Formats: sequence, structure tokens, C-alpha cells
Amino acid sequence: MTRPSRWGWIVSLVALAGVGVVLFFLLSLSTSNRAAYERHYAWLFWVNVVVAGLLALVILAAVVRLLLRLRSGRFGSRLLLRLVGVVAFVGVVPGVLIYTVSYQFVSRSIESWFDVKVEGALDAGLNLGRGTLEAQVNELGARTLAAAERLGEDGAQAQPLVLERLREQLSAREVTIVGASGQILLSAGSAATALTPDRPSAALLRQARSARVASQLEGLDDDANASGAHAPVGAARVRALAPIPSSRLALGEQDRFLFVTQVVPATLTANALAVQAAYREYQQRALARDGLRRMYIGTLTLSLVLAVFGALLLAVALGNQLAQPLLMLAEGVRQVAQGDLTPKPVFASRDELGGLTRSFAEMTGQLSEARALVQRSVAQVEGARANLQTILDNLSAGVIVFDRDGRIDAVNPGATRILRLPLSAYRGRRLEEVPGLEGIAQAVTRRFAAQLAGGEPGERNQWQDTFELQTAPEREKLTLLVRGADMPQEARLMVFDDITELVSAQRAEAWSEVARRLAHEIKNPLTPIQLSAERIAHRLGPKLGAADQALLERSVGTIVNQVQSMKQLVNEFRDYARLPAAQLSPLDLNALVGEVLALYVTEQESGRVRAEPAPDLPAIVGDATQLRQVIHNLVQNALDAVADQAGGAVRIRTEAALDERGELRAVRLLVVDNGPGFPDKVLKRAFEPYVTTKSKGTGLGLAVVKKIADEHGARVRITNLADDKLTAAGEPAPAGRQRGAQVSLSFSNFPKVDRLVATAAVAVARAHP
Amino acid sequence: MPARAWLWLGVLLAAIVVLWPRMARAESVDLQVFKVERSEEGLLLSFSASFELPRSVEDALIRGVPLHFEADAEVLQSRWYWRDKRVANATRSWRLTYQPLTRVYRVGTGGLNQNFETLAEALDSIRRSTRWKIAEPGQVDDDGKHYLEFRFGLDTSLLPRPMQISIGREAAWSLSVERTQRLN
Repeated sequence: MTRPSRWGWIVSLVALAGVGVVLFFLLSLSTSNRAAYERHYAWLFWVNVVVAGLLALVILAAVVRLLLRLRSGRFGSRLLLRLVGVVAFVGVVPGVLIYTVSYQFVSRSIESWFDVKVEGALDAGLNLGRGTLEAQVNELGARTLAAAERLGEDGAQAQPLVLERLREQLSAREVTIVGASGQILLSAGSAATALTPDRPSAALLRQARSARVASQLEGLDDDANASGAHAPVGAARVRALAPIPSSRLALGEQDRFLFVTQVVPATLTANALAVQAAYREYQQRALARDGLRRMYIGTLTLSLVLAVFGALLLAVALGNQLAQPLLMLAEGVRQVAQGDLTPKPVFASRDELGGLTRSFAEMTGQLSEARALVQRSVAQVEGARANLQTILDNLSAGVIVFDRDGRIDAVNPGATRILRLPLSAYRGRRLEEVPGLEGIAQAVTRRFAAQLAGGEPGERNQWQDTFELQTAPEREKLTLLVRGADMPQEARLMVFDDITELVSAQRAEAWSEVARRLAHEIKNPLTPIQLSAERIAHRLGPKLGAADQALLERSVGTIVNQVQSMKQLVNEFRDYARLPAAQLSPLDLNALVGEVLALYVTEQESGRVRAEPAPDLPAIVGDATQLRQVIHNLVQNALDAVADQAGGAVRIRTEAALDERGELRAVRLLVVDNGPGFPDKVLKRAFEPYVTTKSKGTGLGLAVVKKIADEHGARVRITNLADDKLTAAGEPAPAGRQRGAQVSLSFSNFPKVDRLVATAAVAVARAHP
Repeated sequence: MPARAWLWLGVLLAAIVVLWPRMARAESVDLQVFKVERSEEGLLLSFSASFELPRSVEDALIRGVPLHFEADAEVLQSRWYWRDKRVANATRSWRLTYQPLTRVYRVGTGGLNQNFETLAEALDSIRRSTRWKIAEPGQVDDDGKHYLEFRFGLDTSLLPRPMQISIGREAAWSLSVERTQRLN
């Protein structure tokens, strides 16, 4: 149970207790349980007041809190206020209505009890009774006085018979003659009923002496309130006392009094008492009228206040309870909106609101699952795309994707590299707009159109073609193998490969065949030609004159020389075409370089050739003879390149290339010169036979190098050096523009056993530089 | 509930506690004679109170409302460790009524009724008591720890119920006197 709801329950219990106290209050009021009422009235009243005060404070606090929340714009406070308002309205309005009606009813009905006419009637009745009784008293007094005077006039001794007659005349119950001090002298009527007749009281005697006659009413008591029962009706009686005048003024004769007791009629007494009781009751009520009204209305007001407060509290509590799940939902929605899809709390109730929160929690869960799924698939897609992108990026072939309008959609780096054009910048444009590609673009478009129009059934939706392309005048021609295919959504794929090198290799192969045949065909006649020329010189020379002989000698010399040089040429061709298979064995590259450079002692001394062997170079597998020729060719080429230069220098370096894990990847031989470098056009085809920059070269040097390198599984790269690279290598940069060419040979074949040793040696060398 | 609300609640309760006993307390009765004596009969109390009925009270009497007077004497023994112990208790009550039918004032005390022609006579019979026995001879020790609590006055709690409410705050109806005396 949460704290606010516990508070709500406590407050509600207090309210219920207050209502219970009020009910007890009303009950004790209505059942006229006087003792209980008197005992409990005060504390009940004050307990009610205190409870009402507490409730008022609680309600005030709740309302203030609600208003503060409303002011701070907290979510749900408006709804709560509305709920509270509605429930409070429903609770308060009927209460106030009933209160108003009851108030009117109570005050009117209390007022209606009191009426001037009723009061007047009661007064009159009382006066009537009083008058009747007084009349009776006075009458008895008068008659007693008359009887006493008659007795006195008679002068006779009062006889019992006389008294008895007198009693009958006066219709009295008792007639007594008493002495001056009230002692009974003679009595009539009472003997039968009482042992001792009544004696007049001293006050009565006093009054009788002074006023000649005294009469009074006695025994008319209604101690109904005190004793609970009326006095015997017969007990009400009128007493009259009158002195009996003495005719003989005898001294010593005591005063005598006639004492008459007459019973008041029972009906008269009862009626008079009834009137008096009614009068008293009426007067008491009239006196207590304010109190009565105050009591009823106070109780009414108190119960109204408690009921209203209880209703308000219940309104707040119920409103809270109603608003709770909504607030929970709102909080959940807010969290979801912020992307928090953690499981949401469920409001534990079986009504629709609870169902709502449950549904919301389920929905959030499903949303979370869906999002996880989406994220997973997005991750998969991205992975796939990254894979694809990596593949595309590292594809040597160029890939261009066109959208349905023929605009470039995607380009891989291979395309840029092959075409040497910034194709990525032309994304979203047509291929025709790329300068230099207009021709091929049109050809490709035609090809695609043809594919679309005349797609032969059973053929796959692709085509393949070869294009010659020159993207810029100064660049060499590219030979492209282009493959086109249709993609979904009418996109088109164009894949192309630079097969220039392949063509070049084919050409080299063809040349080798040509060379072999030429060597065979040309070499055979060369020896007879030379022999024939020499025989002519030998036979004819002595027979000719000096001038002719000299001419002959010169011509034969020329023929022999030319044949000789042709023989050499043919030999070289033969060598190129028929290189023997490499005899692979472990060898030390540094030693090999040293052997070859021994032939260039003068150049080394003049500083034109410099060897920079790397220490601890691992052994490689190779054919010493062929590699020797390779080094020789490369050094000779480099020297030729710098021959005309004053400060020309050639460096021969060896180094071990390591991969990122520190393992040996390759052993590299670098021949670097600072000559003019290769023209761009030549660079690409430098390894083809008969491609040369030299005027007198055969163009077979690098072709042989390439061939031998291929035999060894080594990689040959020719690069032109920019000056920054050279200076980066630590060379002092001479004044002026520095250029150069570098030929690198990477050997990656190592002796099986020695490889581990070599790796270890390299690792040690790295650890202890 | 904020702390401020609790504060106000506390103030309200404190005000109620402090002001409660001060409501409707006014002494309009003088004790002219108040004498406690020990005798062989026991502890005897004589007192004489002087008071007149206020106008509204007399009016109520004339209209037929019975008035109850009560004298209550209590002998208590003071105890430091507990509530004081009640040693003896004596109560005497009078009931004063007016009979409009016969214009007689009637005073009843115990089972005894007396009629008076005038209000003054009737009140005179109520005002005085002599040698009223409060405690039996051996009941009250002479140790100085006993004291007498005496109260005399109009007992409004026996009035008709609604009247009690309507006169609840009127000073005229609070006719009473209290006296506490140490018994040596």
C-alpha cells in the first residue's frame, strides 16, 4: 500500500469515526436517554468539533496541495481537480439541500409549538382553576365565619349534635372546635376516619385571630416530577378557621375556634393540576425554545459539516485512486516517448483502468521486442552492407550502379582507381556528364538498350564487352572489360575491369613466341652469311687492288659486325623467350647484391652506386644466376637513367618488410635512382618487351626482370618518386626539382626451416635495436 | 500533510485545552459562615450562603421550572503517589418549585416538603445548614493529611435538557461556590 493511499485511509477512518460519534449523539438525543446524554453531551460535542476541525485542516491541506500541483502544471492535477470537484459537488449539494430543508423544518416546527393562543389558553385555564379554588376557599371561610357567629350567638355549649348538623350544612368533612392553642375540644366527622383529627397550624391560628377568619387550601401538591405519582386526590382540602365569639364575656374563658375542613372535589383538583402541569410544561419549553433550536440545528450543522468533509475527503481519495492509473499511464507514455521501453508497472485492479495499464505494459513490451528485432535486423543489414561495402571497396574491379533514370547511384573506389576520375563527385548525375567518359557512356547506354529491347530468351540479363578508353589525351589507353546487368527496380549495374595489364601480358607472351621463332629463323642464316662474307674477303681480298681491297675489307667488316650484333640480338631474344626454369635454393640476397656490385667498382668509387644492405636479412628462396641477372639489369637500367646527370646516384637497398603482428612478410630489394623517372605512359607497360626509354636498348631488360620475378613468385613494382618521398627517406635534397624512379622486388618465398629462425632473428632485432 | 498544518492544529488544541475550564465560571455566591467542627457525632459542617436568584432564574422558577440546589462535601486524604483518596462524602439537595395554581413556593429536601408563601422564605430554608454530619466519628484521622472539599450551588444538570443548552453560557445560572479547607 502506498503512502498517499494509507493517508487517505487514515483520514477516511477519522471521518467515519466522526460520523459515528455524531450518530451516537443523535441517537442519545432521540431516545431521551437522559443519563447517557448528560454524561456524554459535552465531550461528544467537543469531540465532534475537534474531528470537524481536523477534517477541515486535512481538506485544506489537500486542497492547497492540489492547487500547488495544478499551479506547477503537474500532469494529472487538472484531472484530479475535476474528479474531486465532481465528487464533492455530488456529495455536498444534496447535503446542503437537505440541511437547508431540515433547518427550515426544525426552526419552523419548533416555532410552531409556541403559539400566543395556546399560551393564552393555558394562562386562562390556570387562572380559571386558581379562581375556582380561591372561590371555594373564600366561600368556606365566609360560611365558617357565619357558622362560628351563629355558634357564638347560640351561646349554648357546643354539642356534638350541633357540630354534626353544622358539618352537614357546610358539606364539610370535618368540623372541629379547637382551643386557643389549637387543641381539639370537640370534633365531628373525623372520628370515623382518623384517630387524631387535623389540628390547625399556628400560622392559620394567627391569621384567624387577626382577620377573624382564615382559610387555606392544603394538600394540592403535584410532586409528580419528584415522587412520580400524584398525591391522593382526596387529600386536597380547604381548611377554614374562625373564632367563635363569646356572648358571655366571662373571664378566664378561653378563645374557641371553629375549624372546618372541606374536601375539594376530585375532578376539580385533577383538572386544575392537569392545567397546571400543562402550563408548566409549556413554560419550560418556551424557556428552552432557544436551546432546543440550537441543539437541533447544531447537531444538524455538525453532521452536515462532517458529512461534507467526509464527502470531500472521499472525493480526494477516490479521485486519487482514479487518477493513479492515469498518472501511471502518463508516466509510462512519457518514458516510451523518450525511448525507454523498460517493462511498465501494472495497476493492480480488475477494472478497465487496470486493464488499460496492463494493455499498455504489454504494448510496451511488444514495442520493445519489435524494436529489438528491428535493431537486430538493422544491425544485420548494416553488417551485410558493411560487408558488401568492404567487398566493393576492395574489389579491384570498378562497380557503378545506375538508378532507373540512368544516374550514377553508387561508385566503388575501384572504379575511381581504374578510370582515374573522381566518379564519387558525379553521384546523381549521368555518366555522359563525366568528362572523358562520353564515348563509353553512350556505348554502355546503347548496350543496355539493346539488352532491354532484344533480350534473347534463355539468356541471362547481362552483357559483356570490351572497350578501349582514353580518359585524357596525356594518358595511355585503357582496355576495359565491361559487364552490365539489370538490377531490381530498373537499376543497372556496370562492372568493369582494367584488362590493360592482361592484354600487356598476352602481348608479352606473343612477343616471346615471336622472339623464339625469329631467333630460330634468323639465327640459322646469320652464320652462313658471316661465313660467306669472310670467305669472300679471304678469297677475293688478295686478288683485288688496294682500293678495292680496302672497300671489300670495310664492307665485309660491316657485314660481319652487323651479323654479329644481329646474332647478339637474336641471342637476347632467345634468352628472353627461353629462360630456363629457375633452380630454387636458399640464398642470401645481400651476398648476391655484393657479388653483382663487384662489377661496378668504378661507379661505387665515384659514388654513383651505393649499396645499403639491411642487417640480419632473412634468407630467401631463389635462383642465384637469374637473380644475379635481375640485379644486374636493374642496376644497369638505373645507371643508364642517371648517365647524363651530374649528381646522379643509384642506391641498392635491401630490407625486411614486417606485417602489423611483427611477422616477416617479405624481403624487399629496392633499386632507387634520382633520374628523370618514367613517363606516365611507359610506366604501365614498362615490363613489356620493346618498351624502352633508351635509344639503344632492346627493351628486354625489364621484361626479363618481370619474367624472372614471376618465376620466383616475387612482386615487381615501378614507381616514380616525388621529392617528398626522397627527402622522407633521409636523403639531403639537392637544389632543384628532385625526381627519381624506384623499382622494388618483394620476395615472399622463404626457406621452410629458416623462416622461423628469420622471424626470431627479426623479433630479436626489434627487441634490441 | 505539511508541517505548517500540524502547527496550526497544535495551536488549536492548545487553545481548547487552556480555555476549556475557564468557560462559564463565575462565583455569585458568598459563604458567610463556614465552620467545620469535630464532635462526638462526627465531623459536622455549618454553613450559611448568601445569594439572590437572578432575574432570569426567578422567571424560570415562576414559569414552573424546578430548581435544584446541591451541597456537596467531600473529605479527601491527600496522597503523593496516587489520586487523593475519598474518605467520606455527604450530599444534600433541595428542590425548589413554584405552584402557579396556589402561588406557593415549595422546598423539598430528602422526603420532606415545605410550603412557603414567598420566595425569600423558601430561599432562607435553603441557604443555611447547621451541624450537618459529613463523616462518622472515627472516619477522619487527625493527621493533617485530610481536607474538606465543599461545593454549594444551583445544579443546572438536573434542569430540563434543552434548557441546559440554552442557558449553557449564561453566567446568571452559574450560582455556585466552592471551598476547600484543610482538616487539622
